[in-house]
Amino acid sequence: MSFITLIAAGLLVPVFYKNNIFIAKLIAVVAFILSAYFVYTNQSLSSVFPLFVSDEATKLMEYVLLATLAAVSLSLTGFERPLIAQMLFIAGLSLAILETDNFFVFIVLFESIAIVSYILVANIRNFYNAEGAVKAFIAGAVASGIILLGFALFSFVTDSFTYNEMSVNGKFTLIAVAIMLAGVFYKLTIVPMHAWAADTYSQVNHAAAAILSGVIKSVMLLAIFKAFYKFMIAYPIATVLIFSFFAIITMTLANFMALWQKRISKILAYSSIAHSGYALIPFAAAASVYSYAGVLYYAIAYIFMQTSVFLILNDLRREAGVKFLEDIKGLGKRAPIHSFFFTVQIFSLAGIPLLAGFLSKAVAFYSGVDAGLWPIVLIAALNSALAVGYYAWIVKHIYFDKANSNSTIEISTGSFIGQLILLTGTIYFGVFAASVFNATISM
Amino acid sequence: MVAVDIIFAPIFLSVLVYYLTKNAQEYTKYIALAWFVVEFIIAFSWYKSLPQVGFLELGNYLSVPQFGFDLTLRIDALSVAMLLLTSALLILVVFTSWEEKNQAAYFSLLIAFSGPIFGVFMTTNVLWFFIFWELTLVPMYFLVGIWGSEKRIYAAVKFFLFTHVFAMFMFIGFFLLFKETGYWDLTLIKEAALTTPALIWWLMFLGFAAKLPVFPFHTWLPVAHVEAPSSISVLLAGVLLKMGAYGLIRFTVELMPETTAHFAIYMVIIGLATTLFAGMLAIYERHIKRMVAYSSISHMGLVVVAISTMTYDGLSAALYEMIGHALVISPLFLIAGWLHHKTHTWYMDEMGGIMKYAPYASAIFILAGMAALGLPGTMGFVGELTIIVSSIKAYGWWIAVIALGSLISAGYIIWAVRRAIHGEASEIVLKSNFKMSFAEKFALAIFAVLIIYFGVQPQAIFDLANQAFAMFGGMQ
Repeated sequence: MSFITLIAAGLLVPVFYKNNIFIAKLIAVVAFILSAYFVYTNQSLSSVFPLFVSDEATKLMEYVLLATLAAVSLSLTGFERPLIAQMLFIAGLSLAILETDNFFVFIVLFESIAIVSYILVANIRNFYNAEGAVKAFIAGAVASGIILLGFALFSFVTDSFTYNEMSVNGKFTLIAVAIMLAGVFYKLTIVPMHAWAADTYSQVNHAAAAILSGVIKSVMLLAIFKAFYKFMIAYPIATVLIFSFFAIITMTLANFMALWQKRISKILAYSSIAHSGYALIPFAAAASVYSYAGVLYYAIAYIFMQTSVFLILNDLRREAGVKFLEDIKGLGKRAPIHSFFFTVQIFSLAGIPLLAGFLSKAVAFYSGVDAGLWPIVLIAALNSALAVGYYAWIVKHIYFDKANSNSTIEISTGSFIGQLILLTGTIYFGVFAASVFNATISM
Repeated sequence: MVAVDIIFAPIFLSVLVYYLTKNAQEYTKYIALAWFVVEFIIAFSWYKSLPQVGFLELGNYLSVPQFGFDLTLRIDALSVAMLLLTSALLILVVFTSWEEKNQAAYFSLLIAFSGPIFGVFMTTNVLWFFIFWELTLVPMYFLVGIWGSEKRIYAAVKFFLFTHVFAMFMFIGFFLLFKETGYWDLTLIKEAALTTPALIWWLMFLGFAAKLPVFPFHTWLPVAHVEAPSSISVLLAGVLLKMGAYGLIRFTVELMPETTAHFAIYMVIIGLATTLFAGMLAIYERHIKRMVAYSSISHMGLVVVAISTMTYDGLSAALYEMIGHALVISPLFLIAGWLHHKTHTWYMDEMGGIMKYAPYASAIFILAGMAALGLPGTMGFVGELTIIVSSIKAYGWWIAVIALGSLISAGYIIWAVRRAIHGEASEIVLKSNFKMSFAEKFALAIFAVLIIYFGVQPQAIFDLANQAFAMFGGMQ
């Protein structure tokens, strides 16, 4: 039911948004709430189709996803109205990809989400938007091809596509998985397949970037972990080598790149790539009992903070043309409410305690230590300390510097409520870790 | 519930207070003062109900059974000593920043700071200890970065980065503790056998050493102390540095005694190097506040040496010196900052003759200075004497070189007094108006009284130490 509600709403919304964006937003929010209710009452895809199963962890992620998307849709303006329908489709597909336990369905949904995300970035207004959108499209198309190649190889050697029954000991499996991972890494923006991401995230509309980098990436993270879990257990040495290698180069390179950027959206884009690096640590540590909790926690924390910062940036760019670090000088005085939300979420990204970003890092890093990878975790921890360099620098610009102009920036009610939802999520999962751990107990 | 409220309430209270008093800024400081007094009273009531041996249980909160992770609040005499010191300093800091600008934000950040700092000293769960440890950075970052002097932003960012980077080593150390024992709780970890204690020890030591700070990780401190407003310097020296010493006692000495004994000689070398090196730097310093900052580092070196002895005497001396250092360095910082505020110069050789124009401040500067160099009858004497005696007992006569630290401090303090307080009044001093507000006078007087009181009557602190370190063979 939840899937049908979302897709139906997605089809219905375009009828309204041309004339009355308020009704379109209302439909979207109602659809999100309704499907959250259906998830709660287990009227999910899993109750209809045999290819889907739903467990506590999936449900938790679904609530988080729906709440985040509701927050995003509240803060949209007329300019971004096509996003409402696209978000509803993404929500529906995300629920499906989170619930599936079939590798074939996973690949199909992975590609479907990719297609919606090309449409998402295709809201082209100028040359720079076009550059971002084209890069996303070409990189995505290449990734799709690679994934399909790997999947074709894999389908030679297995009898079943169901996660539990897949035979992963065939001849080609390791090669097939390696090829598929190359494609998946494109989507997760892992270095060296990251080059499109920084440009796309920073140059498309920031609300679309919020969905692309915040929402889709964290959904993919969890779905990919579930899909590849069996391979990771079957090939422990390859898993540790591949994932820790890519984790280290991703976070190190992205953090150093972020340090030199002048454009805020680029800093946030590189920080998002760095976070993909940290998120690979529980993948490397798949052998640990905490790996699933690590991935889930990371996805939950990341979805709140990354979505929130891009949405605020969207507001700021629209209202005051904020683009460069120079422009946010003295923002604490000019836009106190925006600055407050922005600062809290930036601190969460930096991993300051009592915010979700800290506990998620702690759990993800701990899963690494638990698997005996403490030197890699130490590198990651030092990287995250290095990242504080640019996060603290942003906060420094907001609160410590003198403003260039005196114009104040007001926050709209919808934006305020949306940010409040995201902030609640960040703080709730920063203090009460028990809910996430309870959810992963079944794995 | 009061235990967990005292940690989390201030964080929310501060946001509330900020928005409530934004348009009536003059009330914020009274709210802050009232809150800190409440904290002091609660800490005092815990002190009264402390059991003779072991911990006072304050409950378990926010349990995550799958991860063995709860907010366990337990305090013993050592924690109570730190809590009393922290809340007392916070009360005095309200007085010394009575006329600070932008009061609503300033005092709400102070309130926000008071929560996590209590958490650091109250929890025995290592992960929560780390959480509170990191959380104290945020209000400090803003307090230094907004209210500081010229190079405040550089100082704030450097302070934040430096402590954060080194805290990460500690973080991994805590993870390894949990991996090897399966517990986050100190009292339970203590029972378990560790397989890689040396690695864990060094990882944790790095975190604490950078906070203390000891040579060669001290470079953040002079910058942060000089650029911070003087009331915040008091908190940095009196509370934040104590977190490092507290961590050393709690985590290295009490948790891993054998490993600490094994590496004690490195701690001694680092401590001695810190004391002598920072002392030498202080001698060459013209900048009055930086001199005080180096003197502060130099005293922390003594504390490290005292802790490394791992005897009852040494740890009591360390605890005494930690409290003594807070009470002695604070008035020095306050007066240094006040002098800069009045004369607009930092350099001692541009001052001179202040005694004549500001006798009250000068008298207290001399008193605190004398305490810093260890004049009998003040806290400094008891602290340095007990440290020297206990380390000679533990390591033999050669450790007496530590007394050179006092010698050096005599050098820079007396020279500072000579240059700034006595002598001919300079042009700058003649032009300045040395009027001191009542609140500042009051706070300085309290510091002066405490320095002399505990110098003559050190028993109260040693009673606490006896309660805290009885397991090291104290006088029962």
